[in-house]
Amino acid sequence: MQRDETDRAIRERESASSARMATAVGPGPIRGPDDVPGEPTKTMTMLKERGASVMQSLKPISRIHQHLCAFHFYAYDMRRQVEAHHYCTHYNEDVHQCAIFDSDKENARLIGVEYIVTEKLFKSLPDEEKKLWHSHEYEVKSGVLFLPGIPQPIEHSEMKMLAKTYGKVFHFWQFDRGDSLPLGPPQLMMALTADGQLQQELAADVEKRYDVSFAEKRKNREDLEGPEGGVHSLSNSWTSGKGLASAIRPVESCEGVFQSVHL
Amino acid sequence: MSSSDISPGQAIPSTPEDVPGGRKSASSHILGTGAGMIQSFKPINNFQQHVCTWAIFSHDMKRQIETHHYCSRLNEDFLQCLVYDTDRADGRLIGVEYIISERLFLGLPDEEKKLWHSHFYEIKNGLWVNPGVPEIVQKLELKQLANTYGKFWCTWQFDRGDRLPLGPPALMMSPQAQAPGQIRPELIKERDEKYHISTSEKAESRKDIQGPELIHPLSDLWKTTGKGWAVDLKEVDMILRAGTPLADMDRNTNVDTTEDSKGDESRL
Repeated sequence: MQRDETDRAIRERESASSARMATAVGPGPIRGPDDVPGEPTKTMTMLKERGASVMQSLKPISRIHQHLCAFHFYAYDMRRQVEAHHYCTHYNEDVHQCAIFDSDKENARLIGVEYIVTEKLFKSLPDEEKKLWHSHEYEVKSGVLFLPGIPQPIEHSEMKMLAKTYGKVFHFWQFDRGDSLPLGPPQLMMALTADGQLQQELAADVEKRYDVSFAEKRKNREDLEGPEGGVHSLSNSWTSGKGLASAIRPVESCEGVFQSVHL
Repeated sequence: MSSSDISPGQAIPSTPEDVPGGRKSASSHILGTGAGMIQSFKPINNFQQHVCTWAIFSHDMKRQIETHHYCSRLNEDFLQCLVYDTDRADGRLIGVEYIISERLFLGLPDEEKKLWHSHFYEIKNGLWVNPGVPEIVQKLELKQLANTYGKFWCTWQFDRGDRLPLGPPALMMSPQAQAPGQIRPELIKERDEKYHISTSEKAESRKDIQGPELIHPLSDLWKTTGKGWAVDLKEVDMILRAGTPLADMDRNTNVDTTEDSKGDESRL
């Protein structure tokens, strides 16, 4: 009895939801940040939050000091490519941690996380783990990975270091397939490794918006070198012809402490 | 195959000091500061709200971690958070959480709901706090947040000994009244001492906070099934064709979280 009432209440509420709620899932046109469902933030909400935030120290956030723009594709489907805005912290000399957004605007959606490590640390990873990582040499040398707003000489210095690193990135929000909310499991992403992979419209759009020329950057970066030992054969694992896709599996998780509650 | 519930590590929690790597050189510092001054950080500027609470690994609910969320509100119904293991400058970025209103949650497909958790219990019981903010100010927003649901992917399982982020992300769950959802008292005590607060006093002051009329039965699903979710990364044929219009794309839109899926091969 109680369960029936519960289901009915849920159904009533769900049918009363607006049309926007019902379109949380794709397929559909790529959804922009304005498609994130929800009412605009009320002034009262904003004031409450601002008032509170003034009193807080935000140390880990204040260490985010670098904006980097690049492209990612799904580790099982190179056709699905997205522009990725990284906001990075140099955690130490060998490790960077980055929050990934779909744009550099105020309403940008947080879509993923990337970790970047030097060659030395990459080599220390278990072989199974290495397969989840990608190299940065091509992206850096081809000029398609850049630091918006940073003068070329300073950018060059940073690129010299980045060319030798490896990255691991997961995305949580497949806005490119029409999802207006982050749905499903995390998606392993990969990075470009050769000419001919990057979709030209995507590239041209970024070049135009940031007033940069990838060709010019490529020329400027001719002197850069990738990892000392060459790009590791276990990185960029998709180049073997096998991509990596996520699946979710139920597992027993409450050993010994579980008390089942029946509705 | 790489899975979120399989660890190559030593099972001793790793600390920020365990992250391998050299100290930043002077030039790194200078470059970093310089870049920080020239570039704009609009998306990051909005991450202004610090929340301290706990999360539990959905695939192994004995593992509880203190979390530090830094949240940005996109609209009245949606927040996105960067999650760290501490609020110190050496905080490791350990994941991302999305927080949505009850209204948005109810609109999700049922299979998706199963990946989410409710926030009412941890807010009402004083576990969820905004360090540094007077309780009276915290309460203003907590009344609204008490009705929200969250989805939290942990990308760095430092508590099982990983000195670097290994494997795919793990799904997290929230504290609940039912075991094993209750946070261990020694963890609460440690947190209280660190911030000079009293979780039990906060619980007292939050007695009047109302939650959703009904916590959706598909959220916090472990309460009825005793099971959590692990993420596997499986080898599939790589699709290489580039330059194809997105409209032609073969899209697999649904998450298959059915209990009897037996590790199915569908690409999610």
